[in-house]
Amino acid sequence: MSNETYASSTRIFKELLDEIGKVVVGQHEAVEQMMIAILCNSHALVESNPGLAKTLTISTISKALDLKFNRIQCTPDLMPSDITGTYIIEDIGGKKQYRFEPGPVFANIVLADEINRASPKTQSAMLEAMQEKQVTVGNKTYLLDKPFFILATQNPIEMEGTYPLPEAQLDRFLLKILMDYPTFEDENEIVNRYTKNIVPAVNSVVSKTQVLELQKLTRDVPIAEDIKTRAIKIVIATRGKNEHIEYGASPRASIGIILAAKARSLMKGRNYVSKEDIDTMAYPVLRHRVILAFESERKGMTTDQVISDILKNVK
Amino acid sequence: MDELMEKLLKLQADYFKRRRLLFILDLISIFAVFYAIFLVLQIEYFIQRSSPFFSIPVNIIRIIPPILAFIIAIIGALLLHKNDHKIKFNFLVEDKYPDLKEKLRTAYDNISETNVIVESLKSLVVSSLTVVSASKLIAASVVITRIILVIIFISGATFISLNSEYRIPPDTIANNFKNLTGIGNEDTNITIGDITGRPENSDVIGSKGSGDIFGKPKIASIEGKNIDLTLYTGMDTGFDVRDTIQTSNQFITSAAFPVDALGSNVSDGGYSMLMKKTETEKMLINKYAVERSKI
Repeated sequence: MSNETYASSTRIFKELLDEIGKVVVGQHEAVEQMMIAILCNSHALVESNPGLAKTLTISTISKALDLKFNRIQCTPDLMPSDITGTYIIEDIGGKKQYRFEPGPVFANIVLADEINRASPKTQSAMLEAMQEKQVTVGNKTYLLDKPFFILATQNPIEMEGTYPLPEAQLDRFLLKILMDYPTFEDENEIVNRYTKNIVPAVNSVVSKTQVLELQKLTRDVPIAEDIKTRAIKIVIATRGKNEHIEYGASPRASIGIILAAKARSLMKGRNYVSKEDIDTMAYPVLRHRVILAFESERKGMTTDQVISDILKNVK
Repeated sequence: MDELMEKLLKLQADYFKRRRLLFILDLISIFAVFYAIFLVLQIEYFIQRSSPFFSIPVNIIRIIPPILAFIIAIIGALLLHKNDHKIKFNFLVEDKYPDLKEKLRTAYDNISETNVIVESLKSLVVSSLTVVSASKLIAASVVITRIILVIIFISGATFISLNSEYRIPPDTIANNFKNLTGIGNEDTNITIGDITGRPENSDVIGSKGSGDIFGKPKIASIEGKNIDLTLYTGMDTGFDVRDTIQTSNQFITSAAFPVDALGSNVSDGGYSMLMKKTETEKMLINKYAVERSKI
């Protein structure tokens, strides 16, 4: 089965991207990175201004992958039980019983919109779900369905009344994806598509089983020792002597870069990880794990610029 | 064995065969060059000159130059190829075929892995390796150049060995040496002893000496050929050096001297008295003198 999936993986990814492209115009990099996060069986954080099709993109991906999709709009008054689910009293045969009503986290793909608006208590409830792929309510633990992917979004503006995610929670996101404004051509296409009566529809092109197999195949992608060494050196270079960095990335970043690079190579139809995969994936993996020094931040430097410098210097 | 590993080992073996060929070609080239140099400089002559110091037999002296050239050739070739054993075949292929670099390295690093992706990668690399050959890793031009050099150097060495006029006479070298160092120059009066602290032409105690019994060696040039006129000592040379003391200390017995002679050593009065003796008395005195001389 795995052999068949691998043999048809190039076709699967092409069809998948084509299908998503029917709805989402442009944003190829963001779509690719979301797919990579899913293939790595991990989670992603998306940062973009409002109206850049974050929800549309992830819901389209879930439809194309034939996965259950739920959306949570995070607000300061959102309670943990609103996410995980709660026990409700149900009358069964004249007897009142507690029944667990699963929350929106019980889905394959969960969009936690504006996660930084949720209270730290609610954010930490999501932490267990993200890391352990399970939810504990009361004394009982419920396993989440596989695959499980959380795409959390953050709005870089309107920071008032928000609860910035703690570093420990940020580290649990494999990638931080940036979505930028579309180009003129893309925006023109968006206008053309969404000002007509016919709304583009998405068909499912991959089954849930295939997604799980692709996740397994991702980890099977071989990597050369020198490429692996490069990834580790990149992460180590974020620690210690770099004047622009206050705090560097954890070893989880090394795992993240290599895993993301494996997924990227699989998506590109390659059966080995290349240096380009590592360098490309270093940005989304590191940008939320590296904390810039105050002086560098004051000068207007971005984490991507610092990562770029590191990539140039690491041999 | 894994198909990829088999393919790599085969290519590697082919490659190192070629490198061994280059080693042999370099060895021959260096040997030919140094042998030619030794012939031109007539190194044999200098070895002969120094042979008394090292007690080298004459028949060995002739084979020293080729042996010396061969030793230098081995050292030179080894130096030229000292990094051969450090060559990593995979890296060589990667350098020559950059497109193969990541694939080959990944496949090689994951040779023990077995999964559908690794297997497909190995198959891909094996098929890609069909374009790789040892002849492409060591350019044919390099081998041809070395072969041409070998031919040139061997021809040169052969030519010099057959034509003695291309050899520099030892006198010329000695004169150049004299001009450069001043040793042996009459104007400067510098001797080798001034430099080495050892008197020139002195023999080592216990040795047979230099054998240079008629002064410095001479080279006679007859009909364009240089003939060494030095009289060498040793076995089968026809010369044997003797210590002069052996002859000067020999005692030769002289004949018995006559009475006249005996009388010549006495005073005038004694002589006339002897002459007055009878012939029988004279015979008796003479016999006495002879007997006395035997004591």
